[in-house]
Amino acid sequence: MEAIKDALNFSDFSRAERISLIIFSLFLLIFPLLGAGSFTKTVMIQFLLFSLFGMGWNTIGGYGGQVELGKAQYVGIGAYTVALMMVWWKIPFWFSMPVGVLIALGYSFIIGYPLFRLKGHYFAIATICTSLVLKDIFDNWTLVGAAKGIELPIHEHPDFVYMQFKSDTYYYYFIMVLFYIGLFYMNWFRKSKLGYQLRMIKDDEDAAESLGIDIRWCKIKAYSIASAFVAVGGGFMAVYNLYIDPTSVMELSLSIKIALMAMLGGAASLWGPIIGAAFLVPLDRFLGSWLGGYKGLIGVDFMIYAALIMVVSAYQPRGIWGIIEQLRKRGS
Amino acid sequence: MLIIDALLQGILMGLLFALVALGLTIIFGVMDIVNFAHGEFLMLGMYTVYWTSLFLNIDPLLALPASAIMGILLGLASYYCFIRYLLRGPAIAQLFGTFGLMLFLQYFAMFLFKTDYRMVEKGLLVGKSLSVGPFIFDWTKIAAGLLSLISFIVVFYFINMTKTGKALQATALNKEAASYMGIKTDRMNALAWAIGGGTVGVAGGLLVNFYYAYPMVGILFVMIAFACVALGGFGSIKGVFFAGLLIGILEMVFPVFGQLVGSDFLGPHFKVTIIYLAYFIIVVVRPQGLFGWRQ
Amino acid sequence: MAFLEVDNITKDFGGLVANNHISFSIDEGEIVGLIGPNGAGKTTLFNCIVGYHKPDSGKVIFRGKDITGLKPHDTNRAGIGRTFQVMKVTTGMTVLENVMVGAFCRVDEREQARKKALALLGFMGIEKIKDFHLNELPVAMQRKVGLARALATNPVLLMLDEVASGLNPKEIEEIVEFMRVINSEKKITLFIIEHIMEMVMKVSQRVIVLDYGEKIAEGLPADIVKNENVIKAYLGEKYAQSH
Repeated sequence: MEAIKDALNFSDFSRAERISLIIFSLFLLIFPLLGAGSFTKTVMIQFLLFSLFGMGWNTIGGYGGQVELGKAQYVGIGAYTVALMMVWWKIPFWFSMPVGVLIALGYSFIIGYPLFRLKGHYFAIATICTSLVLKDIFDNWTLVGAAKGIELPIHEHPDFVYMQFKSDTYYYYFIMVLFYIGLFYMNWFRKSKLGYQLRMIKDDEDAAESLGIDIRWCKIKAYSIASAFVAVGGGFMAVYNLYIDPTSVMELSLSIKIALMAMLGGAASLWGPIIGAAFLVPLDRFLGSWLGGYKGLIGVDFMIYAALIMVVSAYQPRGIWGIIEQLRKRGS
Repeated sequence: MLIIDALLQGILMGLLFALVALGLTIIFGVMDIVNFAHGEFLMLGMYTVYWTSLFLNIDPLLALPASAIMGILLGLASYYCFIRYLLRGPAIAQLFGTFGLMLFLQYFAMFLFKTDYRMVEKGLLVGKSLSVGPFIFDWTKIAAGLLSLISFIVVFYFINMTKTGKALQATALNKEAASYMGIKTDRMNALAWAIGGGTVGVAGGLLVNFYYAYPMVGILFVMIAFACVALGGFGSIKGVFFAGLLIGILEMVFPVFGQLVGSDFLGPHFKVTIIYLAYFIIVVVRPQGLFGWRQ
Repeated sequence: MAFLEVDNITKDFGGLVANNHISFSIDEGEIVGLIGPNGAGKTTLFNCIVGYHKPDSGKVIFRGKDITGLKPHDTNRAGIGRTFQVMKVTTGMTVLENVMVGAFCRVDEREQARKKALALLGFMGIEKIKDFHLNELPVAMQRKVGLARALATNPVLLMLDEVASGLNPKEIEEIVEFMRVINSEKKITLFIIEHIMEMVMKVSQRVIVLDYGEKIAEGLPADIVKNENVIKAYLGEKYAQSH
């Protein structure tokens, strides 16, 4: 009960933030009615999906301050569980998605236990390694389609149980619901005991230990929560794209994007991942579609993208939200 | 017999890996920064030799100085234009920063050279091999192994025997103390990047004689280099040499072993996977590196 | 049975013996000082007791339980709190949040933790600064926050590492007074490392002296200042002259 109240309570934010949240929510709600084209709709769905990923990453990466660069493996676990259960046993999405989340949770505990003996660079590289190992296995495992990937069977009629719709609008609303569940969860999380303890760990590990915090266990818990979030998104990717392969759901660049969006928006803030996704997803998409059309300009879109990452890391590591807060402080 | 062959081939590759990882470990040792773009330095080294030998119509081995110079300039440019500003931020920003540099260089290469796979095709040693009893070695790989070894020794000598090299070591040991002794740490950082870029540029120049250059080739080698650096103990130069050899041997022997056992999961597809796994196990079990030379 | 018993602790950092067969015990309700010149191994001893280091040999018994080699968060749960000589000056959390994290050691609910933290800040007379970040505060205030944070975990033994260094005489006076209060009112046993002689002698009921990793003396403050070994090792010119 208390937890639900916390999750829905945004009163510790400023008025401007709360009003923005309401306007933003209204916009999300009526967006499909605005008659946007399918391209824009896809971008919006991607935006919500990546916000969800980013929120998950924010638990361990933002609040916990751990440079986690292996979230793609959990996207893969979520996506593959849904796809395989559908192809093999015709098990509906609503059952397979939670199973995927459970597998992701279990796997994250197994990986997290040795992983969180590590710190700093060692840890960051190790997270990449674990993710790449899983991708390599899936790339070569014929039982799960190897590098060819898996196609999900297409149902003739729209089917809620299998989450197959003709129109993107349904997918849009579905991911929007997930997005809000994620947002409320994170709003609770940041005020929870674990949230406080993680922030202490990020600030000063020795002090955190002296205050009775089991650092390793806290990190593992946060890592698992992040993994569960990401696995939900992975499951959605499977039913939305109807095709998955290791490159689309497990590649390193996906891990990087997830972490990057949260960081670019502002790690350890509730809005950070959303702002980051709102910025990077359209940029990524539009740059790709504009510049990708010109021959001879291949790669330029990503160069701009990369240059942006470099500029932000060098000049404003606290991200866009950091800039906003700075401006606000100067204003008041 | 297969195993011995793989062992010898592995040693040649290992010498090259050691040279690739050398720069990474020096940069890490001196500045405590992980350079994700290291593999892209390698990639650009490969292209440099490829294009220089093609345009000037010279032997690829004679084009090596060009890749060394390119690497040094790239290292210096990266440091002075970018890394210096990155150092002020938190560790997470540093990681993302060099990651951004990596992406930038990748797509810059793609922009310039497209995604074609390119390998040196003409040259004194290209396509020739040496047979010793039952073993056959490509001359290009022998040259790569030997020249890597020589480059490694040169750098090792420089760092251990010259005054500048000792200043670099002092900076790696304790930045603050070094600066009190009048060592300009900013210069030392730049030097680390120059050496790092130069060595990996040479390694790329050697590699392109028998391995395809393409814009994304770096990530594979940077992961190998990470494994070497971890195995040798972060920042240890002696360590990275033996770690490179070990990883080279592991990479060659492992698929042969799989072939003998007849298991799909030990096949050549996984020869890189085993390196990721090796990294993970090394840092978890022995974070000070296999040899523990660095305290 | 002693409250805290340190039995034959040895800690060796690759040839540098920081603690050499050190034994002593502390009774419940005492205030015990630990002194010694720089590098005598005081902080190492603290770290061995609390669990940041694992001693090479020897035992730490706390309230009848062997806590040797337990992790710091476990020794904290067992009832040992500590402060740090050098506090990381962080920007992530406010003072109130810092103390709340301490309180979360014993409670799960945020409101409870908040209440407890506020009460403690009130007890220490620093409620005014609850919304500041550590980097915005003077050293004396940071120390108090560190103390409040440790107190929030409900320790029965509090180990203070140079809590008065860098403070002015008036601030030291305050801290001393405060230590007496938590000792007498909250019934917390205190074990303190201190450099400032006047302060240790004033507040401690018993003093242990380390030099080069060895325990060279133990006794009442009045006896310690007269102990020849101690004078030679540490007090030397400065203190002996002034008395």
